Amino acid sequence: MSAKGGVGKSVISSLMALSLPRATLIDLDVHAMAIPKLFGLEGRLHEVTSKGIEPFRVKNVAIVSLSGIVRDRFVVLPGGNVASTMESIIAFSDIDTDYVVFDLPPGLGDEVLVLERVTDFVPVVVTTPSRVSRKVVDYLLKYLEERGKKAKVLVNMAYMECDGKTVKPFGDYEGFGLPLDPDLENYVGRIQDYEGPVRAKVGEFLSALF
Amino acid sequence: MHEWSVAEAVIKTVMDWADGRKVKVKRVVLGVPAVSFLDSDLLKEAFDTLKRDSILEDATLVVRFKSPTFHCNSCNRDFSLDDVKDQLDRVRAEFGEDYPMHLIPALAPAFISCPYCGSHDISAKAQDITIDQLEVEGDGGPQGSG
Repeated sequence: MSAKGGVGKSVISSLMALSLPRATLIDLDVHAMAIPKLFGLEGRLHEVTSKGIEPFRVKNVAIVSLSGIVRDRFVVLPGGNVASTMESIIAFSDIDTDYVVFDLPPGLGDEVLVLERVTDFVPVVVTTPSRVSRKVVDYLLKYLEERGKKAKVLVNMAYMECDGKTVKPFGDYEGFGLPLDPDLENYVGRIQDYEGPVRAKVGEFLSALF
Repeated sequence: MHEWSVAEAVIKTVMDWADGRKVKVKRVVLGVPAVSFLDSDLLKEAFDTLKRDSILEDATLVVRFKSPTFHCNSCNRDFSLDDVKDQLDRVRAEFGEDYPMHLIPALAPAFISCPYCGSHDISAKAQDITIDQLEVEGDGGPQGSG
């Protein structure tokens, strides 16, 4: 989750789900629906059975996204409808895994409140090293703290390895840094095949988390 | 479902309306929101069982399902699902019976726009179960009340 948009929540959620033994990845960003774009599931529709919405299965990950219901279409919704839609997606998903990773839209609105209503969760907050991103994300961290939740901060695009040296192109940062890997862009549509340094570091982060 | 409690409430409402007058109710027309998923056969069965030994003993229950209505927050007009039937048919044609709003009713504004101004800023209006018509016989009290 993050109060800031465009920091890499969906990529990191995907890599987290791929790094867990078995996980359900629920895409709660009902406007962007980035998860199916990352996994190459665009245009595919979920099967709906008496057990609920049947997730797409990619390697060890069961994926549920609104795009599997509305296909490739803009979803414009008044605020209250966004919350009901997110709740319905969670409620109707046929979940059979020990871990569930939620990819949230940016913001401090229904995305946070809905999650608090439906489940206890471990907040993983994503930012970039940019000071403006960090300042926005601090609102979310303070809110979570007030609600008694200790968030883990992942700093995306924090550093690069150049000739054995660590370079921080955007300056210093606080939190668990993830490397900047331009090659990751080549895996949009097949992120399940990405084995590069970001994936390795996300795996390292998860081992420390659980 | 709660057909029996609805039938009980209908009978109680009619009796309260009659307020001790010696009338015989012949017919009750009930307006039921389509989204309530009430079973009309079950509702009639409950009504026919609960009406015994009351002024509704000879009454028949007629159930009319009300189409959902929407309000446009942009042009302030109201419209029913029937007014946007062409839009709904297109969604059904693309997705089949498990179409998105059937699964998640909150998605309606993403697929339906106001038939007057085209805005997607629409909200479903709350609908109540209503007694739309009563036909009674007897002591000169109000008849065919709306």
